[in-house]
Amino acid sequence: MSNESLALFLAHSIELESEAKNRYQELSETMATHHNDEVAQFFARMAREAKRHLKEVRQLAKGLELPKIRAWEFDWPGEEPPETASYEELHYLMTLRQAIEIAIKNERTAERYYRAMAATSSDQETITIATEFADEEVEHTAALEKMLADLPENGSCPRLDDDEPNMPE
Amino acid sequence: MNKALKAKDYKSDIKPIWCPGCGHYSVLNAITKAMAGLGLDKDNLALVSGIGCSSRLPAYVDSYGFHGVHGRGLAVAQGLKVARPELTVIALGGDGDGFSIGGNHFMHACRRNINMVYIAMDNEVYGMTKGQASPTSPEDWLSSKLTPHGPGVRPFKPAAVALASGATWIGRAYSGNPNQMAGLIAEAIEHPGFSFLHALSQCITFCPEQTDWKSIVKERAEPACTHHDQAAAVFFNEEGFDTGVLYTQQRAVWPPQQGSAPREDALDQLAAKFRV
Repeated sequence: MSNESLALFLAHSIELESEAKNRYQELSETMATHHNDEVAQFFARMAREAKRHLKEVRQLAKGLELPKIRAWEFDWPGEEPPETASYEELHYLMTLRQAIEIAIKNERTAERYYRAMAATSSDQETITIATEFADEEVEHTAALEKMLADLPENGSCPRLDDDEPNMPE
Repeated sequence: MNKALKAKDYKSDIKPIWCPGCGHYSVLNAITKAMAGLGLDKDNLALVSGIGCSSRLPAYVDSYGFHGVHGRGLAVAQGLKVARPELTVIALGGDGDGFSIGGNHFMHACRRNINMVYIAMDNEVYGMTKGQASPTSPEDWLSSKLTPHGPGVRPFKPAAVALASGATWIGRAYSGNPNQMAGLIAEAIEHPGFSFLHALSQCITFCPEQTDWKSIVKERAEPACTHHDQAAAVFFNEEGFDTGVLYTQQRAVWPPQQGSAPREDALDQLAAKFRV
């Protein structure tokens, strides 16, 4: 099976989901290290979701010969893949509400990316799959928005720490 | 044939304890992506560091590593590369480690042009000891209780010092763009000579204002400078931070036999010279 356009798109999609999974996993671990367990659990959940989606994309790519692209050669609209949480927005004292807001932003960025892929591709199969992926991101956003709405008001209280982090050797 | 390694395969089982949002995560990811992109053999890879938050990095990579003495990562790394030229040697450290305590090693490493990479992870602060001004802190940085009126001295200019000291490859990267950083690290590894990567790596805990770096960092559009005077003009006149390869030059590496295969009998021959 040979469809270069689709193979290129799926290679990007796999990288997108893989990077999202790895970043959420990393964030979960670092939040757990800094005793922000609530946010750690949320990011771990997001990592599991991204892993599940990654598996689905890999399944779709089965049988296709995907191009070998090095990390710095991917073509993204920004500095990082669209669903990857930015380091700049993080803090060890962040609340669950802030973490969910970051996740919503990531889902929306991913949706915009997939819609743009669908809009600019001339390959029908790529358009169909990219549209499906975009629709899935809308579902993820809705689920996260519901989670945010269900949060108690005190879920937005800033956490305090009288002793800033110290990293012993 | 061995399966191609992915970036995650170059990570060790030890989990980083840096603060969430720390730019050093980005540098770690960039290093492992560069290793995967170049398909480097883990057995021929050594990371050497000094002391500080950033210097913990070798523990997080599944390669040979040496977490050394404050400011002396470059000294150890140069010795290693001279003794074992077949290794890919990367020295790492922070701005305090590399430009203050280890400043002298930095200049002489640039001058020697040993074929290795030095990544200075610059967050303009001593983070591990809770936020004191470092050599690269802005003159008017007011966030430390130890310097309540600001450091009051001009910040060190790493790229300009590297240029003046003789580095043959100078690049700058930003933790907000780890993929560009990975490409630059790969290029630095492939450069024959001393490659210095100035990695802007934010300290979200003690310098939250560094989240604004995004607005003053820009990818250099022009090709790398190849003349000292041209590069000096860039380094002394830039507003904000240019990223990319800033300067490159071809010059013979030191020691002269560096390019040749290691001689197994070299030590015996040396010993024979001193035999009485």
